[in-house]
Amino acid sequence: MRGAGRALLFVLVLAVLWGLWEGYRWVGIKAGITRPFPVNDTTMPHIHEIFAQLFKPSRANGPMLIHVLLKSALFTAKEAATGFVLGGIIGFGLAVGLAHSRLLERGLLPYMVASQTIPILAIAPMVVVWLGSLNSPAWFSVAVIAAYLTFFPVAINSLRGLKSADPKALELMRSYAAGRWRILWKLRVPASLPYLFSALRVAAAGSVVGAIVGELPSSIQDGLGGAILNFAQYYSFQPKNLWATNIVAAALGIVFFVAVVVAERFVVRRAPENVA
Amino acid sequence: MSFVANRLRDWVPAAAFLVLGLVAWQVLVSVLSIQRFLLPKPTQIASAFWNERHSLWSAGWFTFQEAVGGFVIGSAVAILVGLVLARWKPLRSAVMPYAIAANAVPIIAFAPITNAWFSPLSKSSKIAIAAVLCFFPVLVNTIRGLTSVRPESIELMRSYAAGEIEIFRRVRVPAALPYIFTALKVASVLAMIGAIVGEYFGGSIEALGVQIKNSASLFQFETAWAAILVACLLGIAFYLAVALAERIVTRWQPTPGRGE
Repeated sequence: MRGAGRALLFVLVLAVLWGLWEGYRWVGIKAGITRPFPVNDTTMPHIHEIFAQLFKPSRANGPMLIHVLLKSALFTAKEAATGFVLGGIIGFGLAVGLAHSRLLERGLLPYMVASQTIPILAIAPMVVVWLGSLNSPAWFSVAVIAAYLTFFPVAINSLRGLKSADPKALELMRSYAAGRWRILWKLRVPASLPYLFSALRVAAAGSVVGAIVGELPSSIQDGLGGAILNFAQYYSFQPKNLWATNIVAAALGIVFFVAVVVAERFVVRRAPENVA
Repeated sequence: MSFVANRLRDWVPAAAFLVLGLVAWQVLVSVLSIQRFLLPKPTQIASAFWNERHSLWSAGWFTFQEAVGGFVIGSAVAILVGLVLARWKPLRSAVMPYAIAANAVPIIAFAPITNAWFSPLSKSSKIAIAAVLCFFPVLVNTIRGLTSVRPESIELMRSYAAGEIEIFRRVRVPAALPYIFTALKVASVLAMIGAIVGEYFGGSIEALGVQIKNSASLFQFETAWAAILVACLLGIAFYLAVALAERIVTRWQPTPGRGE
């Protein structure tokens, strides 16, 4: 019953959003709204036409657009997933280092915060050139860019989580003469898991953004970023292609997010604080 | 006196790491004879930064205005919508999943669409994408903050015969402020990124993102790095301004994380 109610609500909200879009479009075209932007078929295509576009051939006698886009999405997903894993490992490793040394924490933390204000798009071409000169494939450079957006939330939240271990439990472990590594493994890491996963949810979205944005200046044509750049150039003729591509990109972000939420259900259930 | 000592202890390691990092960068580039297009020396970037300071800062100012405009519009609308949604539970539970899902969507990919909606050369196209980027994190955190109040606090206020408005002003808003400011700090960074990525898809020649793109394609890498430095400095200044506002507004709350 609750499930049915939820599903109904879900459909209802979608219908309202659809109605708002089509309603604004209808009023806009009738009344000739030009502010904040002119409303017409190019700026606001019909939503059903955007979805229909997915099932039309991408070019004459070519495969359906959705086939092309799913292939691109798979390519971008490979970059994003590699970047996610890489960034997650680096972020957690940094957090472990910083949790054990005040000096490192004071010295490095401000720069980790500052690193996120660097416009990733601007350094993407340099990363591609650097790694290209080491003979690594171009998609891996994009994965590194995705990792750059992933490591930060993981590092910050894991650090908070590693420090959130119960002080009494810490004292108990010390009174048993437990070493640093044992305390880390038995106490700090389990305590950090809920924090880690809330960061991973943010990082999942970040890795997809990093992969798409990283593709833009790297002239990689195989992924969603390349598709967006390509369709953006033909927007005035074929606006629906760009909208359709963005829908696939949105779906990819949500798939990554949901994957982390599912993983969290499995892992955090076993963490001690959820058992007690 | 001990305040000064504490401050020093906080900042000395950070400053030392910066100096060490810069020296290592300078030396390594010379020793390993890394080519200029891969990574210029810090001194080369610094001189480009100085020589072209006028054009760089005016470009930075142009982009900064777009970022701040988007930040203000997106955050203000998000807080207003959050206030409304937090008030009506059914509406909130209907909209919240979408807001959370929207946070997982690469919204930045919509930048070419806002460029097509508004003219790509205008500031409004970048303000629009920056505003949309800021909207969802601020909305989610505003709702979370307003609904994070402990029930006992509300009961206490009720027992004092406080009205809904009084409870809202004295309990809910103070409880929500830390959440809102956390989101605003994230949004300040997002707004900068939104403006620069939006400019990548086409923008005025005066814009910082366009200047970075152009100088990189003309192999003026020192200028490109100097422009990136300007973007960082502006991003950090923006972030710090929001953090400072947080300090002033939430003065009564103990700062978390200090001295454990």
